[in-house]
Amino acid sequence: MHFNLNKVIPAILADRSSVGISGIWGENIEWRKGDFIKITAPSGTGKTTLVHLLYGLRKDYAGNILYDGKDIQLLTPNELALNRQLHWSIVFQDLRLFPNLTARENIELKRVLQSPIVAAEQINQMADQLGVLAILDQQAKHCSYGEQQRVCIIRALMQPFNFLIMDEPFSHLDIANKKIAASLIEVECKKRNAGLIITDLDKDEHFDYQVSLNL
Amino acid sequence: MMTSRIGLAIAVFLLLTAIQVQSNYHFLLNSPNNKDSIADFLVINKTLNNNNLGNTKLDQELINEIAKQPFTESVGVLNPSRFKASIQSISNQFPFYTDISFESVPSSFIDVKNISFTWDPNAEFVPVIVPNMFLDIYNFQFSISQNLPQLTPSIVKMIVFKLTVYGKNGPISFNAKIVGLSDRISSMLVPAEFIQWGNNYAEIKSDNEVSRLVLKTNDPSNTAIASFLKKNNLSTNSEKLRYSKYRKVIDTVVAIAGLTGGLMLIFALIIFTLFIQLTIANCKQEINLLITLGAAPKQLSKFLLGQFYPGNLISIVLATVMIGLLQLVLKSILETQFIFIPTFISWITISTSVVLSVLLWIVTQKAIQKQINAQA
Repeated sequence: MHFNLNKVIPAILADRSSVGISGIWGENIEWRKGDFIKITAPSGTGKTTLVHLLYGLRKDYAGNILYDGKDIQLLTPNELALNRQLHWSIVFQDLRLFPNLTARENIELKRVLQSPIVAAEQINQMADQLGVLAILDQQAKHCSYGEQQRVCIIRALMQPFNFLIMDEPFSHLDIANKKIAASLIEVECKKRNAGLIITDLDKDEHFDYQVSLNL
Repeated sequence: MMTSRIGLAIAVFLLLTAIQVQSNYHFLLNSPNNKDSIADFLVINKTLNNNNLGNTKLDQELINEIAKQPFTESVGVLNPSRFKASIQSISNQFPFYTDISFESVPSSFIDVKNISFTWDPNAEFVPVIVPNMFLDIYNFQFSISQNLPQLTPSIVKMIVFKLTVYGKNGPISFNAKIVGLSDRISSMLVPAEFIQWGNNYAEIKSDNEVSRLVLKTNDPSNTAIASFLKKNNLSTNSEKLRYSKYRKVIDTVVAIAGLTGGLMLIFALIIFTLFIQLTIANCKQEINLLITLGAAPKQLSKFLLGQFYPGNLISIVLATVMIGLLQLVLKSILETQFIFIPTFISWITISTSVVLSVLLWIVTQKAIQKQINAQA
C-alpha cells in the first residue's frame, strides 16, 4: 500500500516560482503505508491542493498520482468511494461537517458508511478524551471551530485506513488539546499500521515523523 | 409529495378498475352460472321491407358467412311446414280450433330438456313445443276475454288435441300434445321428421328454401353481431341484442377510465421524476459531502430509493387493496340479484399491479441514478 507522486504539478500552481523549489511538486515521491509524513509549507504554496489531489477530489494537474500502482484519476466513482471508505481517511482544513446534524450524527454517519470497525461506545470515549463529550448532541453548526475540528478528527478515526490525510488539523486547538489529539491519532494509526500525511504551516514534534518535506 | 402519491394511487386505482371491470364482464359472459339461455340463441331472418317482400330467402353463401363469423358457435336452419294444418280440441269443455303452421329445428338448439322430441307415422302423438309467450298471451289476455280458465304449464302438457294435415289424399288427423314450453324460439316446433312427412304428404315441392336461422353465440353482447346483421340487412329480436348496447356503454366507460388512469399515471411518473430531481438538487451540498466522505453512488442510490420508493409502493398496494374491497362489496351486492362475479380480483389485475410496481421502481431508480451521476 503506497502513494506514488510522479512529477505532479497542479495546474493552478504551474506558473508560480515556488514550484521550482518545492520538495514535492515535479518530483518522484513514494509514501509507504506506516510512514508518518510531515509536509510543512507557508500559506499559498498548495498544502490543501496536495491533500485534495491525494484524496481524488481534484484532477487538474500534470503528472500522475498512483495508489497501489493505480492512477487515481482513472478510478471509477465506486472504486474511489471504496478507497475513501477503506484506505484513505481525511481531516479537511475546512472541516466539512453536516451543519444540521449533531456532532454525534456526523461521527456516526462515517462509522456506518462501511462495515463498522469501531464500537459505537468508543465515540464517547474518544470524545471524552478530546474534551468534546458535552457537545456531542449539539448541532455541528452550534459548536466552536475548535470543537468542530476535534469532531472531525474523531470522525476520521471511525473507519479503516492505510493513510490518514490531515490538512492543518490542529489549527484551532491549544497546545494541551493538540497533544491529546495527536496521541489519540498516533494510537489509532498504529492500531491499523497506517501511514499519516499531515500538512501544517510550521514544524512540530507531535509525531515521530519518518519523512519531512517542504512544499 | 403526499399529493402526488394520492394522485398515483388514484391513477393506479382507475387503471386497475378498468382491467377488473373487463375481467368481471368476461367472467359474467363465460361463467355457466350466468349464462342466459335467451341471450345465447338468436333467431335471424331478413329484415322485411317493400323491396324484398316475398323474397326473404337466405342463400347458402350468406349462411356460410354467418357460420364463419367469430361470434358464431353454430348455426341451425329453421325448417317451416309447407302444408296446411289445423289444430282443434277434442274436449267439449275446452273447445278451440285454429289453422296453424310449424317449424322444426335441429335438436341441439332446443332448450326443453328430458323429452323425446322425435316422431314417426306410428307414434302415439305428435310432440309440440310452444313458445312460453303464447301461454302467457292465453293466460293473461285470451282466457280473460273469453271467460276461459287459466292454465298452468303442467295442465297444458296434459291436454291432448287433434292435429290435422291437409294433403293430396285428404286430411289426416293425429293426436298431438304440448311437451314443453320454450323461451328460445318464438315458433311452434315439431320434430323435423313430422315436417318432412307433412311436406311430402302435401306434395309441396320442397326447394329447401331457408328464411330463418337460429344462431348460437358465446357472446350475445358482442357488438360485432349487431353490426354484421345490420350490414347484411338481417334482423333478430333486438331485445336479445340489448347486451351489445350495454357492452358498448361499458366498453366506453371502461376505456375512459383506463385512458384517464393511464394519463394520470404518466403525469404521476413525471411529477415523481421532477420531485426526485428537485429533492436531489436541494440536497446537492449534502450529497456532495457524502460522496466526498466516501459514500458510493450505489449506496446513495439505495438510500434515496429507500426514501422515495416505499411511499409510492404503498400507493400502488393501497389502490390494489381498494379494488379488492370494491370487488367484495360488488360481489355481495350483485349476489342479491343472482349475478355472480368472483370474490377476488383477477390475476390480470394483480399482475398489472405488480408490473406497475416494477415500472415505478425502474423510473425512480433511473431518475435517482441520473441525478447522482450528475452530482458525482
